[in-house]
Amino acid sequence: MKEPVSVLFLRESPEKFKMEEKREVEHEDVYILVDKIKEGDREAFMTLTRLYQKKVFLLAYSFFRNREDALDIVQETFLRFYEKVRMFQRGKNFQNWFLQIAKNLCVDYYRKNYSKSKEWDRSKPIDEMNLPDQSSYDPLGSSDLREIISACLKKLAEKQRMIFVMRHYNQFKYREIAQILDISLGTAKSLHFKAVRNLRGLMAPYLGRQL
Amino acid sequence: MMDCKKIKKDLVAFLYGELREDEKELLKTHLEACPDCRKELQHMKEVIKGADSLQEDIEKAMASVDWEELPSRITEAVFAKEAPLPREPWLAGISRFFFQSKLRPAYAALLIGVLLGSFITFIVFRAPLPREVEAGNFLVSRDFLENVELEMARRETLNYLEESQYLLLDFIQSPSERSAEFWQSEFVSQKARGILARKKYISPQLDKFKMAKAKAICDQIEYLFYELVQISAQLSEEEVSKIQNMIEEKKLLLKIKLLKKELEQSEV
Repeated sequence: MKEPVSVLFLRESPEKFKMEEKREVEHEDVYILVDKIKEGDREAFMTLTRLYQKKVFLLAYSFFRNREDALDIVQETFLRFYEKVRMFQRGKNFQNWFLQIAKNLCVDYYRKNYSKSKEWDRSKPIDEMNLPDQSSYDPLGSSDLREIISACLKKLAEKQRMIFVMRHYNQFKYREIAQILDISLGTAKSLHFKAVRNLRGLMAPYLGRQL
Repeated sequence: MMDCKKIKKDLVAFLYGELREDEKELLKTHLEACPDCRKELQHMKEVIKGADSLQEDIEKAMASVDWEELPSRITEAVFAKEAPLPREPWLAGISRFFFQSKLRPAYAALLIGVLLGSFITFIVFRAPLPREVEAGNFLVSRDFLENVELEMARRETLNYLEESQYLLLDFIQSPSERSAEFWQSEFVSQKARGILARKKYISPQLDKFKMAKAKAICDQIEYLFYELVQISAQLSEEEVSKIQNMIEEKKLLLKIKLLKKELEQSEV
Protein backbone atom coordinates (compact mmCIF):
# COMPACT_ATOMS: atom_id res chain seq x y z
CA MET A 1 0.00 0.00 0.00
CA LYS A 2 2.87 2.28 0.66
CA GLU A 3 4.42 3.19 -2.61
CA PRO A 4 8.12 3.77 -2.71
CA VAL A 5 8.60 7.50 -2.68
CA SER A 6 11.15 7.39 -5.45
CA VAL A 7 8.49 6.19 -7.88
CA LEU A 8 6.37 9.20 -7.14
CA PHE A 9 9.26 11.51 -7.84
CA LEU A 10 10.03 10.07 -11.19
CA ARG A 11 8.09 12.00 -13.71
CA GLU A 12 9.08 11.54 -17.27
CA SER A 13 10.83 14.76 -18.03
CA PRO A 14 9.24 16.58 -20.96
CA GLU A 15 12.41 16.17 -22.97
CA LYS A 16 10.50 14.86 -25.94
CA PHE A 17 9.45 18.35 -26.69
CA LYS A 18 12.65 20.30 -26.83
CA MET A 19 13.47 22.94 -29.34
CA GLU A 20 15.39 21.98 -32.39
CA GLU A 21 17.90 24.66 -31.52
CA LYS A 22 18.76 22.84 -28.32
CA ARG A 23 22.28 24.15 -28.12
CA GLU A 24 22.06 27.43 -26.32
CA VAL A 25 23.15 30.22 -28.56
CA GLU A 26 26.13 31.86 -27.01
CA HIS A 27 25.35 35.31 -25.69
CA GLU A 28 28.15 36.85 -27.70
CA ASP A 29 26.78 35.40 -30.94
CA VAL A 30 23.34 36.87 -30.21
CA TYR A 31 24.86 40.24 -29.40
CA ILE A 32 26.65 40.26 -32.75
CA LEU A 33 23.40 39.35 -34.50
CA VAL A 34 21.53 42.10 -32.68
CA ASP A 35 24.24 44.64 -33.55
CA LYS A 36 23.88 43.70 -37.19
CA ILE A 37 20.09 43.98 -36.99
CA LYS A 38 20.48 47.44 -35.49
CA GLU A 39 22.27 48.35 -38.70
CA GLY A 40 19.40 46.95 -40.74
CA ASP A 41 20.97 43.61 -41.67
CA ARG A 42 18.23 41.47 -43.19
CA GLU A 43 20.20 38.23 -43.06
CA ALA A 44 20.94 38.70 -39.38
CA PHE A 45 17.28 39.35 -38.76
CA MET A 46 16.32 36.18 -40.57
CA THR A 47 18.88 34.18 -38.62
CA LEU A 48 17.49 35.49 -35.37
CA THR A 49 13.98 34.67 -36.54
CA ARG A 50 15.06 31.09 -37.20
CA LEU A 51 16.52 30.86 -33.72
CA TYR A 52 13.55 32.17 -31.79
CA GLN A 53 10.43 31.54 -33.89
CA LYS A 54 9.65 28.21 -32.29
CA LYS A 55 10.06 29.47 -28.76
CA VAL A 56 7.58 32.24 -29.41
CA PHE A 57 5.19 29.94 -31.20
CA LEU A 58 5.35 27.37 -28.44
CA LEU A 59 4.66 30.00 -25.82
CA ALA A 60 1.79 31.56 -27.75
CA TYR A 61 0.30 28.26 -28.84
CA SER A 62 0.31 26.70 -25.42
CA PHE A 63 -1.18 29.90 -24.05
CA PHE A 64 -3.94 30.32 -26.66
CA ARG A 65 -4.21 26.76 -27.94
CA ASN A 66 -4.92 28.24 -31.35
CA ARG A 67 -2.51 27.91 -34.27
CA GLU A 68 -3.49 31.07 -36.13
CA ASP A 69 -3.37 33.26 -33.06
CA ALA A 70 0.04 31.83 -32.24
CA LEU A 71 1.34 32.59 -35.73
CA ASP A 72 0.01 36.13 -35.44
CA ILE A 73 1.85 36.53 -32.18
CA VAL A 74 5.08 35.21 -33.73
CA GLN A 75 4.97 37.73 -36.57
CA GLU A 76 3.94 40.57 -34.28
CA THR A 77 6.71 39.73 -31.84
CA PHE A 78 9.41 40.00 -34.49
CA LEU A 79 7.91 43.20 -35.81
CA ARG A 80 7.87 44.71 -32.32
CA PHE A 81 11.35 43.40 -31.72
CA TYR A 82 12.66 45.20 -34.80
CA GLU A 83 11.03 48.43 -33.64
CA LYS A 84 12.62 48.11 -30.23
CA VAL A 85 15.94 46.52 -31.16
CA ARG A 86 17.90 49.75 -30.66
CA MET A 87 16.80 49.78 -27.05
CA PHE A 88 18.49 46.47 -26.35
CA GLN A 89 21.82 46.78 -24.60
CA ARG A 90 24.64 44.32 -24.36
CA GLY A 91 24.86 42.58 -21.01
CA LYS A 92 21.13 41.89 -20.83
CA ASN A 93 19.87 38.39 -21.37
CA PHE A 94 18.58 38.57 -24.92
CA GLN A 95 16.19 35.66 -24.78
CA ASN A 96 14.46 36.93 -21.67
CA TRP A 97 14.25 40.42 -23.11
CA PHE A 98 12.90 39.06 -26.36
CA LEU A 99 10.35 36.76 -24.77
CA GLN A 100 9.12 39.62 -22.66
CA ILE A 101 7.92 41.20 -25.89
CA ALA A 102 6.18 37.96 -26.86
CA LYS A 103 4.59 37.58 -23.46
CA ASN A 104 3.32 41.16 -23.45
CA LEU A 105 1.80 40.65 -26.86
CA CYS A 106 0.13 37.44 -25.71
CA VAL A 107 -1.41 39.17 -22.74
CA ASP A 108 -2.58 42.15 -24.81
CA TYR A 109 -3.96 39.88 -27.49
CA TYR A 110 -5.68 37.72 -24.93
CA ARG A 111 -7.30 40.69 -23.22
CA LYS A 112 -8.43 42.08 -26.54
CA ASN A 113 -9.76 38.91 -28.16
CA TYR A 114 -10.39 36.35 -25.49
CA SER A 115 -11.71 38.02 -22.39
CA LYS A 116 -15.28 38.23 -23.74
CA SER A 117 -15.43 34.77 -25.23
CA LYS A 118 -13.88 33.48 -22.03
CA GLU A 119 -16.75 34.86 -20.01
CA TRP A 120 -19.12 33.37 -22.47
CA ASP A 121 -17.77 29.86 -22.45
CA ARG A 122 -17.08 30.00 -18.76
CA SER A 123 -20.77 30.27 -18.05
CA LYS A 124 -21.60 27.13 -19.97
CA PRO A 125 -19.13 24.63 -18.60
CA ILE A 126 -20.03 25.74 -15.10
CA ASP A 127 -23.63 24.79 -15.71
CA GLU A 128 -22.50 21.51 -17.13
CA MET A 129 -20.14 20.91 -14.29
CA ASN A 130 -23.08 21.11 -11.90
CA LEU A 131 -24.42 17.96 -13.48
CA PRO A 132 -21.51 15.59 -13.26
CA ASP A 133 -23.76 12.54 -13.18
CA GLN A 134 -25.05 12.92 -16.73
CA SER A 135 -21.73 11.90 -18.09
CA SER A 136 -23.10 10.98 -21.50
CA TYR A 137 -24.21 14.60 -22.09
CA ASP A 138 -21.18 16.22 -20.61
CA PRO A 139 -18.71 17.14 -23.35
CA LEU A 140 -15.92 17.02 -20.82
CA GLY A 141 -17.07 13.95 -19.07
CA SER A 142 -16.55 11.47 -21.84
CA SER A 143 -13.42 13.09 -23.18
CA ASP A 144 -9.98 12.21 -22.13
CA LEU A 145 -7.53 13.97 -19.91
CA ARG A 146 -6.37 16.13 -22.80
CA GLU A 147 -9.67 17.93 -23.10
CA ILE A 148 -10.10 18.23 -19.36
CA ILE A 149 -6.75 19.90 -18.87
CA SER A 150 -7.33 22.08 -21.91
CA ALA A 151 -10.64 23.34 -20.55
CA CYS A 152 -9.23 23.82 -17.06
CA LEU A 153 -6.19 25.70 -18.31
CA LYS A 154 -8.52 28.17 -19.96
CA LYS A 155 -10.16 28.85 -16.63
CA LEU A 156 -6.91 29.70 -14.90
CA ALA A 157 -6.12 33.31 -14.13
CA GLU A 158 -4.10 34.94 -16.88
CA LYS A 159 -0.83 35.17 -14.97
CA GLN A 160 -1.03 31.68 -13.49
CA ARG A 161 -1.75 30.29 -16.90
CA MET A 162 1.21 32.13 -18.39
CA ILE A 163 3.54 30.83 -15.71
CA PHE A 164 2.24 27.30 -15.97
CA VAL A 165 2.63 27.29 -19.73
CA MET A 166 6.11 28.78 -19.54
CA ARG A 167 7.29 26.32 -16.95
CA HIS A 168 5.65 23.24 -18.37
CA TYR A 169 5.78 23.61 -22.14
CA ASN A 170 8.57 26.09 -22.68
CA GLN A 171 10.47 24.56 -19.77
CA PHE A 172 11.78 27.86 -18.57
CA LYS A 173 13.30 27.85 -15.13
CA TYR A 174 11.69 29.97 -12.41
CA ARG A 175 14.67 32.28 -12.70
CA GLU A 176 13.95 32.94 -16.38
CA ILE A 177 10.21 33.25 -15.83
CA ALA A 178 10.84 35.79 -13.10
CA GLN A 179 12.93 37.85 -15.51
CA ILE A 180 10.49 37.60 -18.39
CA LEU A 181 7.49 38.46 -16.26
CA ASP A 182 9.47 40.99 -14.26
CA ILE A 183 8.57 39.43 -10.91
CA SER A 184 10.62 37.98 -8.05
CA LEU A 185 11.77 34.38 -7.96
CA GLY A 186 9.58 33.74 -4.93
CA THR A 187 6.52 35.16 -6.69
CA ALA A 188 7.19 33.00 -9.74
CA LYS A 189 7.44 29.93 -7.55
CA SER A 190 4.30 30.63 -5.54
CA LEU A 191 2.28 31.59 -8.64
CA HIS A 192 3.31 28.32 -10.23
CA PHE A 193 2.26 26.45 -7.13
CA LYS A 194 -1.11 28.23 -7.15
CA ALA A 195 -1.56 27.43 -10.83
CA VAL A 196 -1.01 23.73 -10.29
CA ARG A 197 -3.16 23.67 -7.17
CA ASN A 198 -6.00 25.49 -8.93
CA LEU A 199 -5.72 23.22 -11.94
CA ARG A 200 -6.01 20.29 -9.63
CA GLY A 201 -9.11 21.84 -8.08
CA LEU A 202 -10.67 22.41 -11.48
CA MET A 203 -9.84 18.93 -12.68
CA ALA A 204 -11.00 17.15 -9.54
CA PRO A 205 -14.67 16.55 -10.53
CA TYR A 206 -13.71 14.92 -13.83
CA LEU A 207 -10.78 12.98 -12.52
CA GLY A 208 -12.84 11.65 -9.65
CA ARG A 209 -15.45 10.34 -12.04
CA GLN A 210 -12.89 8.85 -14.38
CA LEU A 211 -11.38 6.82 -11.63
CA MET B 1 2.41 17.75 10.89
CA MET B 2 4.07 20.99 11.67
CA ASP B 3 5.57 21.94 8.33
CA CYS B 4 3.02 20.28 6.00
CA LYS B 5 1.81 23.62 4.74
CA LYS B 6 5.30 24.69 3.77
CA ILE B 7 6.06 21.30 2.28
CA LYS B 8 2.94 21.39 0.13
CA LYS B 9 3.99 24.71 -1.29
CA ASP B 10 7.28 23.19 -2.30
CA LEU B 11 5.77 20.13 -3.96
CA VAL B 12 5.30 21.77 -7.32
CA ALA B 13 8.82 23.17 -7.35
CA PHE B 14 10.01 19.74 -6.34
CA LEU B 15 8.22 18.02 -9.21
CA TYR B 16 9.72 20.51 -11.63
CA GLY B 17 13.20 20.04 -10.25
CA GLU B 18 13.42 23.56 -8.91
CA LEU B 19 14.47 22.69 -5.35
CA ARG B 20 17.97 22.90 -3.99
CA GLU B 21 19.57 19.62 -2.86
CA ASP B 22 19.05 20.31 0.83
CA GLU B 23 15.41 21.30 0.28
CA LYS B 24 14.90 18.17 -1.76
CA GLU B 25 16.30 15.99 1.02
CA LEU B 26 14.12 17.66 3.58
CA LEU B 27 11.03 17.14 1.47
CA LYS B 28 11.81 13.51 0.72
CA THR B 29 12.25 12.81 4.39
CA HIS B 30 8.96 14.47 5.15
CA LEU B 31 7.13 12.59 2.41
CA GLU B 32 8.36 9.25 3.73
CA ALA B 33 6.62 10.01 6.97
CA CYS B 34 3.54 11.97 5.79
CA PRO B 35 0.83 10.16 3.77
CA ASP B 36 -1.15 13.37 3.51
CA CYS B 37 1.59 15.14 1.65
CA ARG B 38 2.21 12.06 -0.47
CA LYS B 39 -1.41 12.16 -1.53
CA GLU B 40 -1.06 15.81 -2.36
CA LEU B 41 2.02 15.00 -4.42
CA GLN B 42 0.00 12.40 -6.27
CA HIS B 43 -2.63 15.00 -7.11
CA MET B 44 -0.01 17.36 -8.41
CA LYS B 45 1.40 14.61 -10.55
CA GLU B 46 -2.03 14.05 -12.06
CA VAL B 47 -2.13 17.65 -13.11
CA ILE B 48 1.29 17.36 -14.67
CA LYS B 49 0.28 14.20 -16.41
CA GLY B 50 -2.76 15.98 -17.74
CA ALA B 51 -0.60 18.83 -18.96
CA ASP B 52 1.75 16.38 -20.61
CA SER B 53 -1.20 14.95 -22.49
CA LEU B 54 -1.35 18.15 -24.47
CA GLN B 55 2.18 17.65 -25.77
CA GLU B 56 0.99 15.59 -28.70
CA ASP B 57 -1.42 18.32 -29.70
CA ILE B 58 1.31 20.94 -29.41
CA GLU B 59 3.71 18.82 -31.42
CA LYS B 60 1.11 18.49 -34.14
CA ALA B 61 0.64 22.23 -34.23
CA MET B 62 4.40 22.74 -34.33
CA ALA B 63 4.72 20.27 -37.19
CA SER B 64 2.02 22.06 -39.15
CA VAL B 65 4.10 25.20 -39.45
CA ASP B 66 6.63 25.60 -42.22
CA TRP B 67 9.60 26.77 -40.18
CA GLU B 68 11.82 27.15 -43.23
CA GLU B 69 9.44 29.53 -44.94
CA LEU B 70 8.27 31.49 -41.90
CA PRO B 71 11.50 33.44 -41.23
CA SER B 72 11.64 34.83 -44.75
CA ARG B 73 7.95 35.70 -44.63
CA ILE B 74 8.35 37.49 -41.33
CA THR B 75 11.52 39.24 -42.49
CA GLU B 76 9.74 40.34 -45.63
CA ALA B 77 6.82 41.74 -43.66
CA VAL B 78 9.02 43.47 -41.08
CA PHE B 79 11.38 45.06 -43.59
CA ALA B 80 8.52 46.11 -45.84
CA LYS B 81 7.04 48.02 -42.95
CA GLU B 82 10.35 49.43 -41.76
CA ALA B 83 11.55 50.16 -45.26
CA PRO B 84 14.31 52.73 -44.71
CA LEU B 85 17.41 51.12 -43.23
CA PRO B 86 18.95 52.82 -40.24
CA ARG B 87 21.70 55.28 -41.21
CA GLU B 88 25.07 55.81 -39.57
CA PRO B 89 24.80 55.22 -35.83
CA TRP B 90 25.28 58.86 -34.73
CA LEU B 91 22.92 60.16 -37.38
CA ALA B 92 20.46 57.43 -36.51
CA GLY B 93 20.74 58.41 -32.87
CA ILE B 94 20.03 62.04 -33.59
CA SER B 95 17.17 61.33 -35.95
CA ARG B 96 15.77 58.79 -33.54
CA PHE B 97 15.79 61.47 -30.88
CA PHE B 98 14.00 63.97 -33.09
CA PHE B 99 11.62 61.55 -34.73
CA GLN B 100 10.67 59.48 -31.71
CA SER B 101 6.95 58.96 -31.53
CA LYS B 102 6.85 60.53 -28.07
CA LEU B 103 7.68 63.87 -29.67
CA ARG B 104 4.92 63.63 -32.24
CA PRO B 105 2.39 65.58 -30.15
CA ALA B 106 5.03 68.28 -29.66
CA TYR B 107 5.61 68.50 -33.38
CA ALA B 108 1.91 68.59 -34.03
CA ALA B 109 1.56 71.42 -31.52
CA LEU B 110 4.48 73.23 -33.13
CA LEU B 111 2.92 72.88 -36.55
CA ILE B 112 -0.43 74.12 -35.28
CA GLY B 113 1.36 77.02 -33.60
CA VAL B 114 3.17 77.97 -36.76
CA LEU B 115 0.01 77.74 -38.83
CA LEU B 116 -1.99 79.72 -36.28
CA GLY B 117 0.79 82.27 -35.97
CA SER B 118 1.07 82.80 -39.67
CA PHE B 119 -2.69 83.01 -39.96
CA ILE B 120 -2.88 85.67 -37.24
CA THR B 121 0.04 87.53 -38.77
CA PHE B 122 -1.74 87.42 -42.08
CA ILE B 123 -4.97 88.74 -40.57
CA VAL B 124 -3.22 91.51 -38.60
CA PHE B 125 -0.92 92.72 -41.32
CA ARG B 126 -3.29 92.26 -44.16
CA ALA B 127 -5.58 95.13 -43.03
CA PRO B 128 -3.19 98.06 -43.77
CA LEU B 129 -2.46 96.68 -47.17
CA PRO B 130 -5.62 97.83 -49.00
CA ARG B 131 -5.24 101.26 -47.36
CA GLU B 132 -1.82 101.52 -48.87
CA VAL B 133 -3.32 100.72 -52.20
CA GLU B 134 -5.94 103.47 -51.72
CA ALA B 135 -3.27 105.92 -50.66
CA GLY B 136 -1.41 104.89 -53.71
CA ASN B 137 -3.93 106.86 -55.76
CA PHE B 138 -2.45 109.99 -54.23
CA LEU B 139 1.05 108.88 -54.62
CA VAL B 140 1.66 110.87 -57.75
CA SER B 141 4.76 112.55 -58.98
CA ARG B 142 5.81 115.91 -57.63
CA ASP B 143 5.61 117.36 -61.10
CA PHE B 144 2.00 116.41 -61.46
CA LEU B 145 1.11 117.97 -58.11
CA GLU B 146 2.90 121.15 -59.03
CA ASN B 147 1.08 121.27 -62.31
CA VAL B 148 -2.20 120.87 -60.51
CA GLU B 149 -1.32 123.68 -58.13
CA LEU B 150 -0.22 125.86 -60.99
CA GLU B 151 -3.45 125.21 -62.81
CA MET B 152 -5.46 126.03 -59.74
CA ALA B 153 -3.48 129.23 -59.19
CA ARG B 154 -4.04 130.15 -62.82
CA ARG B 155 -7.77 129.61 -62.55
CA GLU B 156 -8.00 131.49 -59.29
CA THR B 157 -6.08 134.35 -60.82
CA LEU B 158 -8.34 134.29 -63.82
CA ASN B 159 -11.42 134.47 -61.62
CA TYR B 160 -9.86 137.23 -59.61
CA LEU B 161 -9.05 139.21 -62.70
CA GLU B 162 -12.48 138.68 -64.18
CA GLU B 163 -14.32 139.76 -61.07
CA SER B 164 -12.01 142.75 -60.67
CA GLN B 165 -12.56 143.63 -64.30
CA TYR B 166 -16.34 143.66 -63.94
CA LEU B 167 -16.18 145.67 -60.75
CA LEU B 168 -13.77 148.23 -62.21
CA LEU B 169 -15.87 148.47 -65.31
CA ASP B 170 -18.91 149.12 -63.15
CA PHE B 171 -16.91 151.70 -61.16
CA ILE B 172 -15.65 153.56 -64.20
CA GLN B 173 -19.06 153.66 -65.80
CA SER B 174 -20.81 154.72 -62.64
CA PRO B 175 -21.20 158.52 -62.23
CA SER B 176 -18.43 159.96 -60.10
CA GLU B 177 -20.82 161.81 -57.77
CA ARG B 178 -22.36 158.53 -56.70
CA SER B 179 -19.08 156.75 -56.02
CA ALA B 180 -19.51 156.70 -52.26
CA GLU B 181 -22.94 155.21 -52.70
CA PHE B 182 -21.53 152.71 -55.16
CA TRP B 183 -18.78 151.46 -52.86
CA GLN B 184 -20.99 151.41 -49.81
CA SER B 185 -23.68 149.36 -51.48
CA GLU B 186 -24.11 145.88 -50.09
CA PHE B 187 -23.44 144.10 -53.34
CA VAL B 188 -20.30 145.95 -54.34
CA SER B 189 -18.66 145.96 -50.93
CA GLN B 190 -19.24 142.23 -50.63
CA LYS B 191 -17.83 141.69 -54.07
CA ALA B 192 -14.81 143.83 -53.26
CA ARG B 193 -14.18 142.02 -50.02
CA GLY B 194 -14.44 138.70 -51.86
CA ILE B 195 -11.91 139.91 -54.37
CA LEU B 196 -9.54 141.04 -51.62
CA ALA B 197 -9.86 137.70 -49.84
CA ARG B 198 -9.18 135.90 -53.07
CA LYS B 199 -6.12 137.99 -53.58
CA LYS B 200 -4.80 136.92 -50.21
CA TYR B 201 -5.03 133.33 -51.40
CA ILE B 202 -3.49 133.75 -54.83
CA SER B 203 -0.57 136.03 -54.00
CA PRO B 204 1.58 133.25 -52.42
CA GLN B 205 0.69 131.08 -55.42
CA LEU B 206 1.80 133.75 -57.84
CA ASP B 207 5.01 134.20 -55.88
CA LYS B 208 5.62 130.52 -55.92
CA PHE B 209 5.24 130.19 -59.65
CA LYS B 210 7.15 133.37 -60.36
CA MET B 211 4.36 134.98 -62.33
CA ALA B 212 5.73 138.46 -61.68
CA LYS B 213 3.68 140.29 -64.33
CA ALA B 214 0.41 138.82 -63.15
CA LYS B 215 1.41 139.52 -59.55
CA ALA B 216 2.11 143.19 -60.34
CA ILE B 217 -1.27 143.69 -61.95
CA CYS B 218 -3.08 141.81 -59.25
CA ASP B 219 -1.29 143.91 -56.60
CA GLN B 220 -2.32 147.11 -58.33
CA ILE B 221 -5.93 145.91 -58.42
CA GLU B 222 -5.72 144.99 -54.76
CA TYR B 223 -4.43 148.38 -53.67
CA LEU B 224 -7.00 150.09 -55.77
CA PHE B 225 -9.90 148.14 -54.30
CA TYR B 226 -8.48 148.41 -50.82
CA GLU B 227 -8.26 152.15 -51.09
CA LEU B 228 -11.65 152.49 -52.74
CA VAL B 229 -13.41 150.40 -50.12
CA GLN B 230 -11.67 152.17 -47.27
CA ILE B 231 -11.83 155.75 -48.37
CA SER B 232 -14.54 156.00 -51.00
CA ALA B 233 -16.85 157.61 -48.48
CA GLN B 234 -14.54 160.57 -47.92
CA LEU B 235 -13.63 161.09 -51.59
CA SER B 236 -14.91 164.07 -53.45
CA GLU B 237 -16.47 163.88 -56.85
CA GLU B 238 -13.33 165.24 -58.44
CA GLU B 239 -11.12 162.77 -56.75
CA VAL B 240 -13.35 159.91 -57.81
CA SER B 241 -13.36 160.97 -61.41
CA LYS B 242 -9.59 161.45 -61.14
CA ILE B 243 -9.22 157.84 -60.04
CA GLN B 244 -11.53 156.77 -62.83
CA ASN B 245 -9.38 158.63 -65.31
CA MET B 246 -6.24 157.20 -63.85
CA ILE B 247 -7.61 153.70 -64.25
CA GLU B 248 -8.38 154.49 -67.85
CA GLU B 249 -5.00 156.13 -68.40
CA LYS B 250 -3.14 153.24 -66.98
CA LYS B 251 -5.24 151.00 -69.19
CA LEU B 252 -5.80 148.76 -66.26
CA LEU B 253 -8.75 147.08 -67.83
CA LEU B 254 -6.78 146.40 -70.99
CA LYS B 255 -3.96 144.96 -68.98
CA ILE B 256 -6.43 142.75 -67.17
CA LYS B 257 -7.85 141.63 -70.48
CA LEU B 258 -4.40 140.84 -71.88
CA LEU B 259 -3.35 139.04 -68.76
CA LYS B 260 -6.53 137.00 -68.84
CA LYS B 261 -5.88 136.02 -72.40
CA GLU B 262 -2.32 135.08 -71.55
CA LEU B 263 -3.45 132.95 -68.64
CA GLU B 264 -6.14 131.27 -70.70
CA GLN B 265 -3.66 130.39 -73.38
CA SER B 266 -1.13 129.03 -70.91
CA GLU B 267 -3.61 126.42 -69.80
CA VAL B 268 -1.76 123.38 -68.54
